[in-house]
Amino acid sequence: MSSVRPAPIYRYALLTRASHWVWFVAFFVLVGSGLQIFNASPNLDASDKSDPARRVLAIGSPAAGVGTTTIFGHTFVTTNWLGWTGNGMGSRGARAFGATLTIPGYQDLSGGRRWHLFFAWVATVCWLAWLISSAIKGSLREMVLRPGDVPKLWPMQAYYLKLRETPPPHGIYNPLQKAAYTLVLFLLAPLVVVTGLALSPGIDAIANPLTVVFGGRQFARLWHFAGMVLLLGFFAIHVFQVATQGFVNQMRSMITGWYRP
Amino acid sequence: MKRRLFVASSLSALAGCGPISAALSQNRGVERALASAETLNHALIGTRGLAREYREGDVDRQFRVNGFATPSDANYARLLAGQFASYRLVVDGAVDRPRAFDLGELYALPQQTQITRHDCVEGWSAIGKWSGVRLSDLLDAVRPRDDARYAVFRCMDNDGAGNLYYESLDLHQARHPQTLLALRLNDAPLDPDHGAPVRLRVPTQLGYKSAKWIARIELVGSFAKIYSGNGGYWEDEGYEWYAGI
Repeated sequence: MSSVRPAPIYRYALLTRASHWVWFVAFFVLVGSGLQIFNASPNLDASDKSDPARRVLAIGSPAAGVGTTTIFGHTFVTTNWLGWTGNGMGSRGARAFGATLTIPGYQDLSGGRRWHLFFAWVATVCWLAWLISSAIKGSLREMVLRPGDVPKLWPMQAYYLKLRETPPPHGIYNPLQKAAYTLVLFLLAPLVVVTGLALSPGIDAIANPLTVVFGGRQFARLWHFAGMVLLLGFFAIHVFQVATQGFVNQMRSMITGWYRP
Repeated sequence: MKRRLFVASSLSALAGCGPISAALSQNRGVERALASAETLNHALIGTRGLAREYREGDVDRQFRVNGFATPSDANYARLLAGQFASYRLVVDGAVDRPRAFDLGELYALPQQTQITRHDCVEGWSAIGKWSGVRLSDLLDAVRPRDDARYAVFRCMDNDGAGNLYYESLDLHQARHPQTLLALRLNDAPLDPDHGAPVRLRVPTQLGYKSAKWIARIELVGSFAKIYSGNGGYWEDEGYEWYAGI
């Protein structure tokens, strides 16, 4: 009765692994530099031009030493977290997001824009390269959620919750993984790219409908921010899962490609 | 235990990135590498298409004031006191017929009205009704020479330390049908806070290209020798010269 360890399988192609880590770095930079850019005008309006009557989010500092966050007209005191935060130069000041969250840490809109616009290219080109290569190899099929996977979503979740002894039959990726990857790679990633482009007056002049479908420029900024928040949510769950589902095995598979089932 | 260690080390890695990103941001080589995105964006987006034009009802009657303080020097005060009767817009440099236009001459040129959205690099937007002279028509009047590649706008406002505002457009952007030398905002002559008597409106680029309080337009082959050589006050401070995104 000797237990045989299953042989490792080659799970992630080189381009998938490379894309994964490029995105990791790019996402990290894009969030930090994006928050830096947000700080220059820390409001989000559900409108085309700026409109305080349609303000969804406002982060401010009504007085020295006080930070507030207003969501749909409800104001919360968020001193030291939002509105009144570290200024990156050793003290605190009126800043929406603090120095530990922004790139660069100190207030620098032009610096934030340089990081953001460069890594937006990095992430987008990487996404296109990965998409084309995966489509050619046919490996997209294994990742994209199909109608047939939907009835298996709950059984898979039930298995994770230990309400079921065995997972439903599935391919390389289980239905929940497929749902997550489809959401992130085919919905949220394109959303943040397209809403980012919709903020550009040059793009707006070429393709005004792009801005219009999101409700206008300020609304596109709101979608862009919301997309970032949802991607951060994915990131948090993803890291939690990696940390709890065999951290070393997971990390090795995304570095060398080899995964031990 | 291992898990907690992992989370703790990730968080401390995040916290350590402030100083790292600050150091990288101040590295000239990194800065130049990051700025390569501007070349790509300029090539890809460029100066195509037309900015959307809005309806009267969309106009912000109280158009937001931003940027440098309204000029308060003796020269501007004198111009203002005389209702800009002694104002002259000098257009010179690489042109066949350098000229100084007074306001009457500018109003005598064909006037264009546009209701367009002003998009600030800070992120906010406002809609104004602008009237004035198409820059293209003004250029036709002075006839840029073949070696002219950029129009440089010299302004009367300064940053508080005495550095005058300036901007530049390539002739392609300068000839864009919506690039306007605005004389009026929301059916009234430009008021001092909005750039009186003449300002630029470039609705297809970010707001800092739309220079206010213009005194002189100089046609040049290169702006490399003007101030720090980046083509504008904010460009010298690290902002992109191509501000279409």
